[in-house]
Amino acid sequence: MTEVRNPFEDPLRFERRVPECAIVIFGATGDLAKRKLIPALYRLAYDRRLPASFAIIGTSRTPLSDEAYRELMREAVKQFSEDGEFDDELWKRFAGNLYYVAGDVKDPQLYVALKEKVNAIRQGNVLFYLSTQPSYYPIIVDGIGHSHLAAAPPGAWRRLIVEKPFGHDLESAKELNARIHAVFREEDTYRIDHYLGKETVQNILALRFGNGIFEPLWNRRYINHVQITAAESIGVEGRGAYYQEAGALRDMIQNHLLQVMATVAMEPSAIFEPNAVRDERAKLLRSIKIMRPEEVDLYAVAGQYKGFRQEPGVNPDAQTDTYAAVTFFVDNWRWAGVPFFIRTGKKLPKRVTDIAIQFNSAPLALFNTGNGEEGARPNLLILRIQPEEGISLLFLSKKPGSGMRLRPVSMDFNYGTSFGERSPSAYETLLVDAMVGDPTLYTRQDMVEASWTVIQPILENWSQRRFDFPNYEPGTWGPAEADAMIARLGREWRNS
Amino acid sequence: MSTATVQPERILKDLQQLWAKLAHDQAESGGVLRACAMTLTVAAEDAPDAERVRQTVGVLMHNHPSRAVILRPVDGGAALDARIFAECWKPFGKAQQICAEGIEITAGQSGFSEVAKFLVPLRVPDLPVVLWCRGAGALERGPLEALFPLADKIIFDSIHAADADSALQFLRRLRGRGGRVADLHWTRLTGWREVLAHLFDDGALNPEEIKDAQVTFGGPSVTTCARYFTAWIRTSLPGVRVTLASGDGPAGLRSVTLSSASNNLTIARTDDNCVEVSGNGRHYRLLLPSTSEEALMQEELGILGRDPVYERALAA
Repeated sequence: MTEVRNPFEDPLRFERRVPECAIVIFGATGDLAKRKLIPALYRLAYDRRLPASFAIIGTSRTPLSDEAYRELMREAVKQFSEDGEFDDELWKRFAGNLYYVAGDVKDPQLYVALKEKVNAIRQGNVLFYLSTQPSYYPIIVDGIGHSHLAAAPPGAWRRLIVEKPFGHDLESAKELNARIHAVFREEDTYRIDHYLGKETVQNILALRFGNGIFEPLWNRRYINHVQITAAESIGVEGRGAYYQEAGALRDMIQNHLLQVMATVAMEPSAIFEPNAVRDERAKLLRSIKIMRPEEVDLYAVAGQYKGFRQEPGVNPDAQTDTYAAVTFFVDNWRWAGVPFFIRTGKKLPKRVTDIAIQFNSAPLALFNTGNGEEGARPNLLILRIQPEEGISLLFLSKKPGSGMRLRPVSMDFNYGTSFGERSPSAYETLLVDAMVGDPTLYTRQDMVEASWTVIQPILENWSQRRFDFPNYEPGTWGPAEADAMIARLGREWRNS
Repeated sequence: MSTATVQPERILKDLQQLWAKLAHDQAESGGVLRACAMTLTVAAEDAPDAERVRQTVGVLMHNHPSRAVILRPVDGGAALDARIFAECWKPFGKAQQICAEGIEITAGQSGFSEVAKFLVPLRVPDLPVVLWCRGAGALERGPLEALFPLADKIIFDSIHAADADSALQFLRRLRGRGGRVADLHWTRLTGWREVLAHLFDDGALNPEEIKDAQVTFGGPSVTTCARYFTAWIRTSLPGVRVTLASGDGPAGLRSVTLSSASNNLTIARTDDNCVEVSGNGRHYRLLLPSTSEEALMQEELGILGRDPVYERALAA
């Protein structure tokens, strides 16, 4: 079918329009649906981004009527919408297209019922959203396949969004991909990594490739090292049972932080087109040096906070890493020899996610007075992702007064200040992208497998070890071994 | 707020002092953040209009923080005068205030031609300058012309233009001299245009099958928005016969009907905020976006580069 260009398009002024479609949410009464998905869809309706006939079909085991489900979601939207007043009139219109089908994902009758519901609401385009526990993903995909729910009528589409984790190691990721591809084509498979939907992560691309001043410095000649920190001040907050199976390395580094690192370090794509951008991210992930078994202890540190084993649902002997720090190297001409330090953990001193690019110091400490004052402190470019989104550049400036005494100053760009308009949440962005068929910010199979390949040696090493946990106090920046890891390479963490 | 005579260096110095005072006053709540993305110069119609502009600019600053320069005309040959102000707001949930700065310049009609030379040093260096010329009088040769070369974008509103064709001629001339112009009466059409455009998304309607388009407008005479709309359809569907007809109802666009060999599809205004789409198996109502002055300006300030679709419609 040849695509007819819309002669009336005006991308400067018109929003991308979501086509007529339905979204089927598996795990529709779960935390993600309540906290993120339904509030994001409601907000899109509030912003008039959804077509009038847009429908949501929620499904889970809990027996509920359409009305009871609507009421449950109404409360969720009221509680979890990040901004804006709750609009009763809008909710009535929104909830009119909100349906519920109860059933067990292992029961073939569920898919028959879903098919009947999809046919009843007469939607050709359907987006399936897997928001259940990961072990159900293959079962659901099989169920969709066997019931022919994935078969779209001519001119329509059927797509699948898969929440992380995409497997729990390389082998299981490959197996999951094979099961998905038996039913959905890769181009119809959207693996969601909500970090990539954050405005500031997208802004990394704008900063790097929209400006002329950064890219010439963005290499091993000028950059000393990169630190990526994703710290949480809270613990597992009731998710102990899930978390003890995952751990920080799997839960954060394998997906979110390696994707962020790929965005920071990738080569520019020739065009801004989904597969071109994803090709560059994938190439970067494949360029990360794979650790040899004997290198794991040098370049990876696991930690567990004191008190984790006493959390509800957690094994009192758990070997789970609630903290992980890893040093990666990228084997390409741009980054050879530049360490990328990535750390993430729970119960750290504050909630912060940022990327710090530390440049080499000036070659000569011209202003070093030798009395302990700042003289040749390196410049830092900090890309702040949360809680305050923005960019800061640290450099030295002369202190007012006589003499040449320097002190570090920060030049700040605050995203919220310069653009007063509201930033869409990551889920709003990513849901619209999936509905309009733009996978740029979604993870592709080869990217998933490349990132599992990178951390596989660490997983194997850690699975065979018995750690002397706990090894850090809540409210500290993690275990002393992480400080030693970075110190061995002559650097130190930014703990500010 | 403080006053200053119109000496640009003095005004800039006063602004520095204003910032120092704001920072001092807000020191305990984290100081103030100074935000600036452009110089927004507004030529008000008269003194009461300048008061309205202050309020509108206050709203616009939240999304488009800028140094606002408001030109306030007064009767007679009063000497130039200036005062400075700050517009501050606290984003939801944040302790720190964000502030943008403003300068109000008062001038008699005869003094307006002098304003241009004062504006040059008052522009924020290296950031775009937008000039918003209010009122129908701005669409004629007049004292504001001296300001046009200073601006990267000039925004007019032809809604009250007595003669649509003269207003369009004026805008075309300005555009022909290389200026980037905008007209809020075009911006008011975005909702209509979006409804029409979406009918062609995903091949739902085939543009090649459309043979005729009839646009109906209300009011005693044809307006610039009716001219824009027909020009936009004509430039988007070059082979289609586009006609413009007068209809019942208040001034403005009333309906558009697209006809193919077998079908008619109509978008018609039902009230101020709604349109109804009917025909070709469709029947539904849609809410149009707000056309408040603030909303229109928000949209225009978001487009600082070229606007090829508008330029094509203006040129047609």
